[in-house]
Amino acid sequence: MNYSMVKSLVLKDWYFQRKAILLCLGGGIASLAIVAFGGKVGFYLGLVLLITILIVIAATVVMGTLVGERDNQTLAFVMSLPISFRDYTAAKMLVNLLIFIPFWLVLTAGSLGLVLAAPPIRGLFAFTVIMAVEILVSTCLMIAVALVTESKGWTTSAMIAGNLALDVVGYMVAHIPGIGNGMFGPVVHWRPAATVSLIVEFALIALMLGGAFFIQSRKREFI
Amino acid sequence: MNELSVQFDGVCKRYAHFALEDIHLELPTGSIMGFIGANGAGKSTTIRILMGLVHQDKGSVQVLGHPMPAEQAAAKFDIGFVSEDMRLYGAATLAWHMDFLKPIYPRWDAAYAEVLARRFDLKPEQRIKGLSHGQRVKAALLLALARRPRLLVLDEPTTGLDPVARVEVLGELMAALADEERTILFSSHNTLDVEQISDQITFIDRGRIIDSDDKETFLDRWRRLRLVLPPDVAVPHLPGVVEVGGSGRLPVLTTNCFEPAMVSVCNELGATVQAVDTMTLEEIFLANVHSRRERVTA
Repeated sequence: MNYSMVKSLVLKDWYFQRKAILLCLGGGIASLAIVAFGGKVGFYLGLVLLITILIVIAATVVMGTLVGERDNQTLAFVMSLPISFRDYTAAKMLVNLLIFIPFWLVLTAGSLGLVLAAPPIRGLFAFTVIMAVEILVSTCLMIAVALVTESKGWTTSAMIAGNLALDVVGYMVAHIPGIGNGMFGPVVHWRPAATVSLIVEFALIALMLGGAFFIQSRKREFI
Repeated sequence: MNELSVQFDGVCKRYAHFALEDIHLELPTGSIMGFIGANGAGKSTTIRILMGLVHQDKGSVQVLGHPMPAEQAAAKFDIGFVSEDMRLYGAATLAWHMDFLKPIYPRWDAAYAEVLARRFDLKPEQRIKGLSHGQRVKAALLLALARRPRLLVLDEPTTGLDPVARVEVLGELMAALADEERTILFSSHNTLDVEQISDQITFIDRGRIIDSDDKETFLDRWRRLRLVLPPDVAVPHLPGVVEVGGSGRLPVLTTNCFEPAMVSVCNELGATVQAVDTMTLEEIFLANVHSRRERVTA
């Protein structure tokens, strides 16, 4: 792996996505302020806004850095550089995760902070952690699909599937006895079912990103 | 024998509706090869295989001593590549592109980049999306040339340019190439473009290399012989005749093995050689393609 080339590609994408990052950063800070100071209505409104910003930043960066290279015909320029397919794949995965994860961490930390700060809903702690990781799973699905297909259509489909999966997973997780029981209580419960759910989610992330890497390494045509 | 910068040996690549068959191609170091073929002949596929961007199904490819595609990353340090379908980042300036490439290429020549910018009449601080198509091609050429590549690969760089911009780009390219000796592969369907800058010519048609030689030899060995035949004299059998045109008494023979002695042979056989016409590269290309297609159909 040519780490210096990977770094150059990451910085390049960071440069082109800087406006979207700044806009979402501003939106994220505003949402957190609404959550913290907006009362009961503001709490829900701010959380919805935060999740929306997460989805927007993920979609913008994936579309801009992965699908956009092909759509804008800049892929030939990138691939004329002294890089291998592995370098390209690693750089694209890295830049998407590096941009998304800070936003995701802020959302997760903010949500968990709010759950812990409000005694009546502390029981939501495990559920919130699992759903936060599920958002990461959905984003990784979108990254993997965009990397492999470089298609706007498939990436949009993956984004829709990932968002729908959030509802389904939320419903399912809430009905797992080890998590659902006491979910609306004042006490934090962390049972084995929550650990298993997290392991499954991280395994899915590893599978999707590893699978994308594997498929990319077997590709015989890059432009 | 010269060292080879590019060597294709028995390369095949199959698609559902197109196949590149048994490509043997040698590009000696320091030479400029014009790679001519009609649209869809296989030029871009060949070049993508050369760049390691498409993997061949069979055969071996060596570029600057690197087996491709296995060592494509290492090989591309020494290759400047410009293709018709390559775009630069519209939102960025030319200066940004230069700054981006500078740390990547150890031989990046910033002074030369500035010289080229002046010669190509480009403003580094201008955004790429504000440039005309001709200026974008020049910008891409600048970025390829300032890397000081050992091998320059140009895949139809003049396609889509209006005649004025085409002449301008070619003129600037020739001026830039006069600076020093480089190995260049220049593909085009436009023989005029290729003829101006190449010293080696390779024709490709329907996925096969149909002829390859140095330009002067090409131009020397291809001739049209305009004959006048008396009533009882048949068309003489001459070596390398790929096409017999004209009318019965006034045949026109196109040969790819012309030698001055052919004229006396014709005379000895009773035919009068009215004229021996030289051929342009375009005429040679067309005669080559037609004769090959006729042979395949027959």
